Amino acid sequence: MANRVYNILFHTHTISGIIISAALYVIFFTGSITFLRDEINAWERNEPIREHYFKAINFDKALEVLAKDRRLYGRDLSFSHRYFEKRVGVSMTRSKDTTIQEPSGRGRRGNFFYMNMDTFEKKDYGSNYSLGEFFYRLHFFAQLNLFGRSGYFLAGLVAFFFLFAVLTGVIVHWKKIISSFYVFRPKAKWKTIWTDAHVALGMIGLPYQFMFAVTGAYLIIGYTVMLPPVQSLMFDDNPKKLQEAAQYEAPDDYPFKGENLEKEVSINQFMHQTTEKWPELQQHQLQIFNYGDKNMHIKVSGSPSFDDKLLGTGYLVFRAKDGTIIREKDPYSRTSYAEGATDLLKRLHFGDFGGYGMKLIYFALGLITCFVILSGVLIWLVARDRKNLPEHKRNFNTWLVRIYMAICLSLYPITAIIFVVVKLFADNYGDGRRDFIYNVFFWGWLLLSALFILKRNNHFTNKFSLLLGAILGIFVPISNGIVTGNWPWVAWQKGYSQIFVVDIFWLLLSTIALLVFFKLRKPKESSRAKKSSKAKLEISTN
Amino acid sequence: MPANKKYLTKSPWQRLIKISAGFVGGYILTEAFHMALLQWWNTPDALITLRFFGFILWATLMIFAFMAKNGIKIWGVYLLATAVLALLIYLT
Repeated sequence: MANRVYNILFHTHTISGIIISAALYVIFFTGSITFLRDEINAWERNEPIREHYFKAINFDKALEVLAKDRRLYGRDLSFSHRYFEKRVGVSMTRSKDTTIQEPSGRGRRGNFFYMNMDTFEKKDYGSNYSLGEFFYRLHFFAQLNLFGRSGYFLAGLVAFFFLFAVLTGVIVHWKKIISSFYVFRPKAKWKTIWTDAHVALGMIGLPYQFMFAVTGAYLIIGYTVMLPPVQSLMFDDNPKKLQEAAQYEAPDDYPFKGENLEKEVSINQFMHQTTEKWPELQQHQLQIFNYGDKNMHIKVSGSPSFDDKLLGTGYLVFRAKDGTIIREKDPYSRTSYAEGATDLLKRLHFGDFGGYGMKLIYFALGLITCFVILSGVLIWLVARDRKNLPEHKRNFNTWLVRIYMAICLSLYPITAIIFVVVKLFADNYGDGRRDFIYNVFFWGWLLLSALFILKRNNHFTNKFSLLLGAILGIFVPISNGIVTGNWPWVAWQKGYSQIFVVDIFWLLLSTIALLVFFKLRKPKESSRAKKSSKAKLEISTN
Repeated sequence: MPANKKYLTKSPWQRLIKISAGFVGGYILTEAFHMALLQWWNTPDALITLRFFGFILWATLMIFAFMAKNGIKIWGVYLLATAVLALLIYLT
C-alpha cells in the first residue's frame, strides 16, 4: 500500500475512533449487560419464567379480567411476548362500534400496558420499568432524546462511524494482519503493549465488531436516516405508501360487521390448535380482531426455535364464528430474502441463536471490544506524549484521556451499585421506579467520574473501579438472597435458571475483576502529567 | 506513531471538500444506487437492503473520498454517478 494511502487512512481511523470512543464504550458496556435483559428483569422482580410460557397462558381468563373495567366489544387486541418475561405486552384499539362512547383522555398510552399472565395483574409502563429496560435503552442513548430523537440519532451516528473505523482499521492493518496477530510484548513499554493488545484483540473481535456496527446502525437509524429520500422521491412523500411497500406480507384486514357474535369462543382452543399443528413453534403473539363481532378473527404467530430454523415466522388466522383457518403461513417453509434479512439482523444483534453459551461468548467479546476501544484511546495518549509537541496540546490529550477513562471505567462499579440498590429499595418507589434508577445511576456515575478526574491518576481509576466493582458485585447475589431467599443454590434447586444466571454472572465477574486487580502492576513509565503534578506538589511543600 | 503529516491534506478547504464528498456525496450516491435497485428488484427486498447494506456502501464511499487526491474531482465522480443512476431510474 502506498505510504500516502496508509497515512491518510490511519489518520481517519484515529480521528473517527477518538471522537466516538467514550460513547461507543458506553454502548458496548451497557449493550453487553443487555444480553441478559430478560434474566435481569426476572431477577429484579423475582419472577422466574417457565419454558413455553406463552402457549400455556389462560387467555380466556385474561380477557375476562380485562372485560371487568372496559367493554371489549369491537376492539382489536394484541398480546405480545417480545421479551421472555411473565409480563406480556397488551395493547388494544378503541372499539370500532361508534355507538360506544369511551371516556376521553385514553390515548395510545392508556391502551398499552403489561399483564402478568400468572396473576393477571396489570402494570403501566412506569410501574413496569426495570433495570433490564434501563440498560437496554441506555445502550442506544434513549435518555438523550432531548430534542426529538436526538439520542437515537447520536447512537446511530456512533455506530456508523464505528463501522468506518472498523473498515479503515482493517485496511491500515492489512499488510501485517497475520504477523502482528501473534505479537504480544507484555514486558515492553506501554505504547507497545497498548498497540499489540489493540491489534490482536481487534482482530479476534473483527467479525463481531463489524456485525455490531452494521446491525446497530440498521436497528437504530436504518429507517430514519436511510429511507426519507426514498420516501420523498419515490413514494410521493407519503409515509403510509412507503410502509405498505416495505411490507413483505399482506396486512391483516378484517372489516368490522357491527353485529354480535352469538357464540362463546375460547381463545385457548385456538392457541391449543396452533400448538398441535406446530408443537415446537415458539408462539410469541396473539392478536384478536373485532372482539365479539360476527367477523371476529384470531391470529396466533410464532417463530421456530433457533435450533430448528434460524429465520422466518409463521402464523394461523382463525375465523371465530366457525373456527376455520382462513390464512396460514408455515414457519418451516421457505423464508423470503426480505424476511430472512430482517430476522437475521435481529438474531445476530441480540445474540439469540445459541442459548447461554452463545450469550457468554457475546458478552466476553463485548468486553473485549470495550478493551479495544480503551486501548485505542491510550495509544492516542502515549503516541502523542512527546517532547516536540507543544505543552497545551499535550495537556489537552492528558485531560481528554483522563476524563474518558474516568467516565468509562466507573461504569462497572456504578452498574454493580444500581443492581444492589434496586434490589434493596426500588420496590418502595412504585410508579417512580424509573426516576429512582435515573437518580441513583446518573448522579452516582457523575460523582464517581468526578472523583476519578480530580484524583488525576489513570492507574488509580483503573485499579479502584475494578476493586469497587468486584466488591459491590459480590453484594448483588447477597442482596438478592437476603430480600427474596433465592440464594444461588436455592434458585438452582428450584430451577429458576434466569435468577441463577444473573447471580452467577456477577460472581464470575467479581472473581475475574479481583484476579486482574491483584495482578495489576504499577506503571513503570508513570504518566507525564503525574510527574508534573508531583513536581508541583514538591514545589508547594518546599 | 501518529500518521505522518507529510501525507495528509493541508488545505482546510480541500479537507472540507473531501469530508463533505464522503459524508454528503457518499450518502447521495448510496441513496441513488438503492433507488435504482428499487426499480429493477422487488420493493421490500431493495428497501431492507438499503437499510443495512446502505451503511456499508456509504462508509466505503467515505473511504474513497479520503483517498482522493482532489476533493473537487471526487465530488464530481459521485455526482456524475448519481446523475447516471438518476437517468436510469427516469428511463425505467
